[in-house]
Amino acid sequence: MLRKLIYLNWSAFMNRLTTFQTFLVAGYIVFLLMLFSNLIGSALVIVFFGQNMIVGQQLSWITPQLHQLIILIFANVLWILHFSFTSTRLLNMEENRKLLAYGYPVKKLSWHLNLMGFFHPLNVIYNFTWVVFLLLQIKHLMYVPVVLAVVLLNYAIIYSIKHRFLKIVEKRFKLIFFSALFVIFGSIQAIAIISRQFEAIVSKYLPSITSLNNYLFYTPGGLLQYSAAGDYNLTTASVIYGFSALLVFLIFRDHFFKTREGLQKPVKEGNIYKRNRLWNFLRKWLGLNAGKFYYYIFSHSYNRLQLLTIALIPAVYIPLLLQLGNNYYSNLLIPTMLAAIPVALLAMGMANMFGYENKEFLLHKQFPLSMEKQLKERFLGIIIVPLMIFYLITTAEILYLPQLGSVIEIYIANTFFFVCFTLVFLWSSFYYYKQVDYSSFSFKHPIISQKVTFMMTFLIFGLGYAVFAPLGSYQNYRLYVMGFLILAISLYLWRNMDVLVLAFEKHIMHRVWADADQ
Amino acid sequence: MDQAIKISGLQKSYGNTAVLEDFELSVPSGNIFGLIGPNGAGKSTLIGILTGLLDYDGGQIVINGRELNEQNEQNIKRQIASVLQPPLLFEHFTSHDFLHYICDIYNIDMQDRQQKMDSMLEYLGLSEFKHAKINKLSAGSRKKLSFCAAILSQPKILFLDEPFESIDVISIGRMKTILNRLQEKGVTTIITSHILEIVENLCDDIAILHNQKIIAYLDSETRKELQKDSSLSEIFESYVEVEKPKNDVLKWL
Repeated sequence: MLRKLIYLNWSAFMNRLTTFQTFLVAGYIVFLLMLFSNLIGSALVIVFFGQNMIVGQQLSWITPQLHQLIILIFANVLWILHFSFTSTRLLNMEENRKLLAYGYPVKKLSWHLNLMGFFHPLNVIYNFTWVVFLLLQIKHLMYVPVVLAVVLLNYAIIYSIKHRFLKIVEKRFKLIFFSALFVIFGSIQAIAIISRQFEAIVSKYLPSITSLNNYLFYTPGGLLQYSAAGDYNLTTASVIYGFSALLVFLIFRDHFFKTREGLQKPVKEGNIYKRNRLWNFLRKWLGLNAGKFYYYIFSHSYNRLQLLTIALIPAVYIPLLLQLGNNYYSNLLIPTMLAAIPVALLAMGMANMFGYENKEFLLHKQFPLSMEKQLKERFLGIIIVPLMIFYLITTAEILYLPQLGSVIEIYIANTFFFVCFTLVFLWSSFYYYKQVDYSSFSFKHPIISQKVTFMMTFLIFGLGYAVFAPLGSYQNYRLYVMGFLILAISLYLWRNMDVLVLAFEKHIMHRVWADADQ
Repeated sequence: MDQAIKISGLQKSYGNTAVLEDFELSVPSGNIFGLIGPNGAGKSTLIGILTGLLDYDGGQIVINGRELNEQNEQNIKRQIASVLQPPLLFEHFTSHDFLHYICDIYNIDMQDRQQKMDSMLEYLGLSEFKHAKINKLSAGSRKKLSFCAAILSQPKILFLDEPFESIDVISIGRMKTILNRLQEKGVTTIITSHILEIVENLCDDIAILHNQKIIAYLDSETRKELQKDSSLSEIFESYVEVEKPKNDVLKWL
């Protein structure tokens, strides 16, 4: 039966893949292999470099205490990575639940799902790395069962904590997210301060390395490392093994019961009642079509997260760059980051254009309003909101960051940046609407794909360099060129906005009808 | 009698597969018209074409005296409404906001709409879901909400594709009452359904669609005559020639 279950999940997984997604999965496998070799390689180097003669001669300052510190730091970094990447998904629960109707015993299904979760490639990679990392450090064969039991216990605990952690995050999303923002912001600022006086700070804390190691002993990585490298006799080993095995049994038993309960009692949404103040606000200010479009964008949790990210990156980096003073890099990077904010919003809007409300276009098409008018209102909405943000940012730059240039310089450079990307999105959207390529603009995940994000980042910084890099006496020539191009691109955009509507109507509506199971 | 819909020589195919071929049909005004046929006969495609969601390859469609083309499309759409299978709804709105949206589109008077919306929701047992997000509603509630939206737009022609699927008996009774009241006001309703008992009781004229064509048109007089001796499902089976399975095909059961 387990074979049937694996076959079902495998075929369900494979059938959902388009050619492009298969390509992505191949890339993901390469990434996993690289991750695996990196982890194992790092573990080998960190454990053995103390025994290497050449290392001993060339890095004579690495004392046994310092080596122990490096091992403990690696163990804790590995633990944090393990915690972050552990997959808590129980392989397509909704689909697998249907097996109960075909005679699959619930106990067996629950057990098999847990087993499949355990054998998720990422879990295998991390657990195997732990086993290798710890077994390299053992002093006696009696440590082997202890290490195996502790690694299994570590996985079980991470799995349990993460499951509960995600539940708490869901309930207290705003509080936790903003706390995390402050922690990230604070950490980056702290790293910036330390890096300025690196030698002074390190020389101050280096003598107390032994006490630091003593503290690190009580961290998860430290305790795991102790199970392999600590000094204990057979009785202690038996007690640790017995206790770990008992905990593993209890935790897995709990997972087993929880999965069984989940299979038989699907989660019901408790709070289905919701008044939409946001919708009323957007309808009032942006109209029925653009308002609905933005309401949908904000309804998607991933988009809200994307918006916060757009706000977070400049909030972290711009204060850091301002600390550098009025130099070449801050004058280049600050305006680039600020100009990228409306561009990112524009990209978000375009990516969502026929996102997860695609089936609803059929209802829009039934309305006694021309489809062209409805789509044009949407496209205009997509452009107008980032344009407003663009004006706010440009005004703020002129008022509060005068070191970036004169009013005309900032205004022309920002406008050029914005119209260039509007053109890029017009072309790329037209191309996608013609292809109706659901692998790039999936209706389930109407988000900017990774390849687009990567290319966008490259383009933003490339164009930023061309537009904002100080040019000295050649500055005026650049302003003339940008001014001319702004006029030419604006004219082109004005005359060609229809291509999106046409591509949309011609290529997408048929696909939507077929996908809507009509 | 005036014709609400007149279709002549209609052609529609998906790739090389013809769905409708030289299709002819006339639906009298004020009629509750039943369109029945086996699975895959092209009923939903026909409704898709008549509601302007699908284009067609050839032929002529006249709705309430106007030919369905680009010039008349908006005027025609103002006079029609539909409930499709599955129903088309704005998933992330609440029922209340969705109906408001529909009222905005069809310019329903602000003062009237709240009372109309509330009474429709109450009548069809949807009041408690007024502020529930649509994507959380059950299949039956979604269908009823789509029906509410269609009625609120005050159509002259109503297209209902499998309107009674997933709906409870009480609500079916109430939907029938609404349809009868609309008929009194002269509204034409076109219904496709596989539940022949409902079609039998509710509809005036019935057409059977099979092999890309209307193979039988049963007006109320013909139906009275035929249904003296047999039920609608027996009449349906007599028209739709389906290859009968051999007697022993399920002998293993």
